[in-house]
Amino acid sequence: MTPLFYVIIRLMNKMEKALGELGHMDELAVQDSPVHAMNAGAKLLCTVIYILTVMSFDKYDLSGLIPMLLWPVLMFQMSGISVSTCFYKLRIVLPLVMAVGLFNPIFDREIMLQIGGVGISGGVISMITLMLKGVLCLMASFLLVATTPFDNICAALRRVHFPAMLVTLLLLTYRYVGVMTEELAVMTDAYHLRAPGQKGIHVSAWGSFLGQLLLRSMDRAQELYSSMLLRGYHQHFHYAPVKPFRSRDAVYLILSLLFFTVVKFWNLSEIIGMFVTR
Amino acid sequence: MHMADALLAPAVAATMYVASGAAAGVSINKLRKDDEPSKLPTMAVTAAVVFAGQMINYTIPGTGSSGHMCGGMMLSALLGPYAGFLSMIVVLAIQCLFFADGGLMALGANIWNMAFYGCFVGYFLIWKPIIHSKWFGEGKSAIRKRIIAASILGCVITLQLGAFSVVLETSLSGITELPLGAFMGLMQPIHLAIGLVEGLITAAVLCFVFESRPELLRDVNEVGAGTLTAKRSLKATVGILAIVALVVGGGLSLFASGNPDGLEWALFGNADGGYSTNMGLDEENFGVSSDVADKAESVQEKTSFLPDYAFPGSDSAAGTTVSGIVGSAMVAGVALLICFAGGFFRKKKQS
Amino acid sequence: MIEFDNVSFAYESGAPVIKGLSFRIEDGESVGLIGANGAGKSTIMKLVLGLVQGEGRILVDDTEVNKENLGRIRKKLGFVLQNSDNQMFMPTVYEDMMFGPLNYMVSREDADKKVNEVLDRLGLQYLKNKYNHKISGGEKRMAAIATVLAMEPDAVLMDEPTSALDPYNRRVVINTIKELGQTKIITSHDLDMIMDTCDRVILLSGGEIVADGPAMDILSDRELLEANHMELPLSLSARP
Repeated sequence: MTPLFYVIIRLMNKMEKALGELGHMDELAVQDSPVHAMNAGAKLLCTVIYILTVMSFDKYDLSGLIPMLLWPVLMFQMSGISVSTCFYKLRIVLPLVMAVGLFNPIFDREIMLQIGGVGISGGVISMITLMLKGVLCLMASFLLVATTPFDNICAALRRVHFPAMLVTLLLLTYRYVGVMTEELAVMTDAYHLRAPGQKGIHVSAWGSFLGQLLLRSMDRAQELYSSMLLRGYHQHFHYAPVKPFRSRDAVYLILSLLFFTVVKFWNLSEIIGMFVTR
Repeated sequence: MHMADALLAPAVAATMYVASGAAAGVSINKLRKDDEPSKLPTMAVTAAVVFAGQMINYTIPGTGSSGHMCGGMMLSALLGPYAGFLSMIVVLAIQCLFFADGGLMALGANIWNMAFYGCFVGYFLIWKPIIHSKWFGEGKSAIRKRIIAASILGCVITLQLGAFSVVLETSLSGITELPLGAFMGLMQPIHLAIGLVEGLITAAVLCFVFESRPELLRDVNEVGAGTLTAKRSLKATVGILAIVALVVGGGLSLFASGNPDGLEWALFGNADGGYSTNMGLDEENFGVSSDVADKAESVQEKTSFLPDYAFPGSDSAAGTTVSGIVGSAMVAGVALLICFAGGFFRKKKQS
Repeated sequence: MIEFDNVSFAYESGAPVIKGLSFRIEDGESVGLIGANGAGKSTIMKLVLGLVQGEGRILVDDTEVNKENLGRIRKKLGFVLQNSDNQMFMPTVYEDMMFGPLNYMVSREDADKKVNEVLDRLGLQYLKNKYNHKISGGEKRMAAIATVLAMEPDAVLMDEPTSALDPYNRRVVINTIKELGQTKIITSHDLDMIMDTCDRVILLSGGEIVADGPAMDILSDRELLEANHMELPLSLSARP
């Protein structure tokens, strides 16, 4: 097999890419930085409130929204993760948000402001606002996952009395997502090696392709359950203790929430602009 | 049809979280009561298979495009509605956290749109009644046909409901000001096609399971053993068909009366977008334009969050926004500076 | 001590897999279970662990394997699965190792001490906080053995412990097995490994014992092995 051919096969395989992404997130999450060291619950709370705040901005309030950019950017820098690492994920968020936003300039042509004789319509502003919202929300949730190992997030969820069954299921699934994706990646390679030129799975194999994996997985689940039983499982999972909530987590929490409040209720951009242009 | 955070208002997102959370609570209680701890590993592994399986490209014969499956219907046929629902939640949560597919705050809505309908409506109103019905006569081949019928009907109906919810949620959030009817006119027909393909894929997989290990499928065993017969199945099915007719018909009729631009955009979006990378649902098409003429009057008060808020000399909308631009630019500049400064620190730390 | 007394087993609507088996394994023995595919090796493991129920009597330290005694018996037995991915279901190696001890009501501190002790002994401290899905096959196998040892079982059962390992990792696993003080039951097609690690071999065919005796006697019997779909271990066969 020529290397080029191999590359083509590789490129076709979405599962491999997903695995790479998953692995990358894991690697980021176990790094060491002040943000990584923070209590997972505090980070989770901050992220949720941040996203809610971003969501709550009016669709024309671009200038008010822009200062919200400062928080994730600062956090990224403190965590030692480059902001650009999360841009790869934008390929999923942006098209979707754009699909909604792109029509605004076409239907909403009311001129809202003039810059040097060029009129900017409300639609353009709302489109940019929407896209910025998409980027900001992505940055925040990416930051959470990239600085917190998944088991810590689960432990934090458990701490706030999230149902144990769901947390256990999350952990177990997270563990097996990699295994099953890898298995399917191999199956996909094997399929395409015997069916060159086919873009996807032919209709004759629609059922058996995933069906085979499904059946094998059922046996696997049985074995997995045996393994749990043999190690004394009785409907209870023990979770790793979370990093304790320390005073600096409180400082982080208070400062972040304070910042969100200020940005939400005072248009920082305009205040700064006022001083400069006066 | 993963919703993004940016497309929802906080109140809508919270409502959907409450609704999905309630359904999850019921499911957890039900599973706990049934005492099925052995299900947990099966749920996890099956969820992982569905997660991976969503990435498979299925070639649609006769077209150049490919379809995907979402899995709600399949999970509930294999695990039952409650376990299936929880598994689906986990799939959506992992997609949202690790792949930015959907958003953290939109998760509640996504669970409702994709998992709730697929698992609960799909199971109780479609899968169970149809499998227990007397459709297609007796014997193995009849059961197979019922599986196919239930899969296709189930996927089509649950996707219609899901698409309808997306329309409602987006509209309620004030993100799109396209009239509800026109928006639906775009969404429902597209998801009819997607649902059909997903239904066929689900049917193929479930038929394969039926041939090899029928005991894995919900309800099929009981029917095979002849222990249960249907009573209200026909009524339920007719009811479902009525709902579909209403949703699709309503959507289509409104679509016909909707503005021609909307139609144009639907065609454009359809040809251009095709199936997206994630759930096989055409995301390009669900939030469309805001075609609102009377918006201008509200523009001015919307430019600032607090209507009372004003600085001296900033009475006019233009004045407000010019200073807004200057300030925004400065804030963005600071953000950029932090980026560089941070990079600087990082390099220093490494050396 | 593990004793089988006239044990039979058949899967639902299938031919019998185990036919009237009787044998006894003393404390501290290391026994290799060998035989062709489908000879019943894995089923014997499952029967001892109480994962399936057959006819006849199985005793573990004079306690019968049945529903009531399962907890007590499983605490004494450690089982290393052939597929380490199925064994290691927690996110990290450390949490996986803690899973067993914590379930058996050991305090977190004691469990942690135990886990670290095992990690030190096997030289695996570097794996401690690694994710299970990010370590290599060889590391995974060693980690799986470690999870079982952290429970301090009286006997260790292993299903194909050296399958799909490179020669180096295979050797690491063999050396680890050799150093275990517990009773060992190992099923494998890797007869060289069996020769290295076991004193006694039970040869199975069609659910029945064909031969039971000192490892060297059975593993050097070319005719017996070949009659049962096996070959002389490489280290005993002359090169052509």
